[in-house]
Amino acid sequence: MDKALLIQLGGSAAGIAVLVGFTAWMGVARPTPPLDAESARALLALEFPDQRPDRVWISADGAAVIARDGDAALVLYRRGDGYVARDLPWSAIASLKPINGRVRPRLSDARPVFAVKDDVWPPREFA
Amino acid sequence: MLKAPFDPVQLAIPFFILAIVLEILLGRFGKARAHYEVRDTATSLTMGLGSTIAGALFGGVIFATTVWVYQHRLFTIPMNAVWAWIAVFLLEDLTYYWFHRLAHERRVWWASHVNHHTSTHYNLSTALRQTWTGGVAGTWLLWLPLSFLGFPPAMVAIQKGISLVYQFWIHTEAIKRMPGWFEAVFNTPSHHRVHHARNARYLDANYAGILIIWDRMFGTFIPEVDEEPCRYGTVKNLGNFNLLHNVFHEWIGIAKDVAGSPRHALGYIFGPPGWSPDGSRDTSHTLKAKWRARVGADSTDQRI
Repeated sequence: MDKALLIQLGGSAAGIAVLVGFTAWMGVARPTPPLDAESARALLALEFPDQRPDRVWISADGAAVIARDGDAALVLYRRGDGYVARDLPWSAIASLKPINGRVRPRLSDARPVFAVKDDVWPPREFA
Repeated sequence: MLKAPFDPVQLAIPFFILAIVLEILLGRFGKARAHYEVRDTATSLTMGLGSTIAGALFGGVIFATTVWVYQHRLFTIPMNAVWAWIAVFLLEDLTYYWFHRLAHERRVWWASHVNHHTSTHYNLSTALRQTWTGGVAGTWLLWLPLSFLGFPPAMVAIQKGISLVYQFWIHTEAIKRMPGWFEAVFNTPSHHRVHHARNARYLDANYAGILIIWDRMFGTFIPEVDEEPCRYGTVKNLGNFNLLHNVFHEWIGIAKDVAGSPRHALGYIFGPPGWSPDGSRDTSHTLKAKWRARVGADSTDQRI
């Protein structure tokens, strides 16, 4: 490979690292406080406007929400300083097994970790 | 002239970096609306670098094809005439509009362009989140008619670069609105925020490069309204920050769909993103229809 090109690539990669480091240092991400009942409901209404979940569970660390709407599970979890929304069959959620206070639902492109209180699943919100 | 004597994008890179630093500082000290998430920013910047490499790898094919077309041109347009630059500005911008519209409305080209929209942020680093697979997708073919008309390939390349540089500064929340006359004619941060929004009301709108007049002419213009702030990203945001997933996820999605039902291959490839034979998935069209039903809006008025 051409030496000048290698230097250019190396320089660019170093520049990216510096800029990313600067971003981290400045700390300008959106604030994402733990979700409570009100903020979880608001987020569900935004992401699933056509559904009316009757039961809602918020993870122990406030970083995720699972809601049940009939046979569908509406899942929200924090990714970076935003939230990812997915819907999946309720059976996929009901069959989760907590391990060390965590459940890990299998989504099409991720396996997020949800904190569970007392290793009880399904939680009492879904009982 | 065949090869451009300079690349506006390369020349603008120091400005890009300084502008990003400035936007972060303004956000940090509360002087402007700007949010940067570390992994999101890393993805955007790395996508920009990767796009340059991918462009260099595919550049030879594109350049050779463009020169071949130019050799069979209808007219010879001088590169040193003012009227020729005005003409290439307008025609290149019109070409960009249609390229961009196709890139959103047909899945095979969306697969290449979606990477630019996967950030849930809207800041200057998002502008650098460029495709790696544009060469393969073949959208560059849309610019060949300009060379066939007789615009020198260098002239077209420079104008494309100018358009890309112009589009950098509009990727920001720091600027709310430009003066009315400017908003009427040019693409602005406000217009382009709408383009990057995932709110149903804003989907498939504002495809302009430099001039917003094309959207106004072709009925794809939607104004930003203060009562509905833009939420950024794709309709179904990515579940992770994996760079390769970001680049290839829609291509993989197409391959899986086609392999699962080859007789519907044309629909999966050339249909709108979200198309499915049984209509079980959402397209922009169905999402907008559901939104209109929810808000009770007149389906012919996209402004409400």
